[in-house]
Amino acid sequence: MAPRAVESKGLKKDAIGFVDALVIGLASTAPAYSLAAVIGLIVIDAGVQAPAVLIASFVPMFFIAAAFYYMDRADPDCGTTFSWVTRTLGPYVGWMGGWAITMTGVLVVGSLADVAARYAFLLVGWDAAAESKWAVIAFAVCLIAIMTWVCVIGTEASATLQRVLIFGQVAGLLLFAVVALGKVAFGGAPSTSVDPQLSWLSPFAVDSLSVLTVGMLTGVFIYWGWESAVNLTEETSGDGAASGLAGILSTVILLVTYIVTTVACVAYAGPRLLSEFADDEGIFSTLAADVLGSPLDKLVVLAILTSALASTQTTILPASRTTLSMARADAMPAALGRIHPRYLTPHVSTIVIGVVATVWYVGVSAFSENFLFDTLTALALMIAFYYALTGIACVIHYRRELTRSVRSFLFIGVAPAIGALVLGYLWVKATIDYADPETSYTGSAIFGIGLPTVIGIGFLLLGVVFMAVWRLGGHRDFFGRPSFEAVDPDVAAGRVVLEEDKAGAGAA
Amino acid sequence: MSEPRALVVGFDDSDSARAALHAAIELARALGDRLVIVFGYEPPGRQGEEHSAVLAAARELGERVTRHALARAEAEQVPAEVILVGQRPVDALLSQARILDARMIVVGSAREHPVKGALIGSTPHRLLHLADRPVLAVPAGPI
Repeated sequence: MAPRAVESKGLKKDAIGFVDALVIGLASTAPAYSLAAVIGLIVIDAGVQAPAVLIASFVPMFFIAAAFYYMDRADPDCGTTFSWVTRTLGPYVGWMGGWAITMTGVLVVGSLADVAARYAFLLVGWDAAAESKWAVIAFAVCLIAIMTWVCVIGTEASATLQRVLIFGQVAGLLLFAVVALGKVAFGGAPSTSVDPQLSWLSPFAVDSLSVLTVGMLTGVFIYWGWESAVNLTEETSGDGAASGLAGILSTVILLVTYIVTTVACVAYAGPRLLSEFADDEGIFSTLAADVLGSPLDKLVVLAILTSALASTQTTILPASRTTLSMARADAMPAALGRIHPRYLTPHVSTIVIGVVATVWYVGVSAFSENFLFDTLTALALMIAFYYALTGIACVIHYRRELTRSVRSFLFIGVAPAIGALVLGYLWVKATIDYADPETSYTGSAIFGIGLPTVIGIGFLLLGVVFMAVWRLGGHRDFFGRPSFEAVDPDVAAGRVVLEEDKAGAGAA
Repeated sequence: MSEPRALVVGFDDSDSARAALHAAIELARALGDRLVIVFGYEPPGRQGEEHSAVLAAARELGERVTRHALARAEAEQVPAEVILVGQRPVDALLSQARILDARMIVVGSAREHPVKGALIGSTPHRLLHLADRPVLAVPAGPI
């Protein structure tokens, strides 16, 4: 007797509520951690125009999110970037897209743990440890082990805890921003402080294109993950208007938090003072201590710490699942496609990513003068690469549907295409710029090539090598797959319900 | 003679699940019930790329392990069927038990420390609190 399958996808059955959609929308980008990790870099680069750069970098991300949204609607059961790119641009490009996502997991885990370790020391007031490279590395490695284990057993923090954490993070950042701006206006700020100006928000006031390029690449990192929030609002219970509202509201809160906090930092410390200690990876903690005083400043530190830890799931999950999807499509060794019988998580691929990430983190931290800077830049390169591929995949997949209406032309055709172009341009430009160690302010270099470029390109070349080896080993099922698949017109129009079983590129 | 009642048993190919299956087979024979082997395959974590690939892999895993369970029940000549549910294991057991108006739910118990169970999510622990019918938790061990 064949097993009887009960068709009830968890997502559709118990649709999530408005507040949950809002929480997920905010949590997917880990605002406190993202801001803490990049604020120094953006200010060094763009000075008072840092808020403008944050606004400008949201635009391509918004366009790419449109691609994710429509691709997900076309084939909700057929995976994401790896599967989509494989179907449209062919197995070789698709393989590289999947590889890039996996590598973002490897790169980000170290930086998450690094930030979490540093801020954990700062929280308990052990400043000496926070400044010791090896103390941070040692604790960060422990954190990576714990985070990997958490991802394997798949424990999800309860919904209530998640709500408290995310609203706490946003509230902590806004409290900091409001007090800092209050001190700038009514006295109490250092003498270097400057009054905020409206021109800080204008991307057109940015000094040069190269400043904007570097800043926008950093921006790619802070909005990374936002597209999953857009997709999830589809699942919100209640009418369509309410679910759309959760998506819009979470985006507005996210943007406002980023911009207000950045404006507050720049105004309070002044751009010159800020760039002087932007090197300090605990910059936020230093600023918060000055602005809020003890013990309120610990709130900001706590917000950043919990944000870094909580975002593990949103960063390791995509990587381990993409690896699983690739293994199932015969694009990677089958062992990586295994599922843990009890926890139902891709435990093999998760552990492999955790181990590789640890080796990578320890190795590069020991070598690089500023691990966080170099890793985040390389990470942004990798994200830009696979986002651009996704944008192109969307246009190709929907190519026959573009002329149906102005709306579909703009949102399925023009927006993803522009997003892909901008991110592709950023990727090429930044790769070339960072090749010169002089451009990268840490000056770390291998064979005279700047470290961010070495990492960004090195990982992709490594991918090409692995792909070639895999190809030489046969695996015709995967490499022989057709490209340029177009969306089924019925699916595009929402007239048919897809079978659940079509999941995964491998099953196609 | 009335229709045999259903005994819902959760199965995931662990030692304790095998113990639960064994107990459920004995009970079903004694009570004249039919066995319904349930596997919930919704993986944790809704967010993230390629969720559907994990879902499909988990479902295949479910098909594979429940096939053994079904074979075992049939070898013991107890009427049995398998239901794969796209929900978390606990939700799958609860919903199927309710739909089938099952006599009871039988699951394996990993004999973990309660704190560990609370942290990583213990199926019998949650079932005991949420179920609207009897729950039998069977520990792994020599039978």
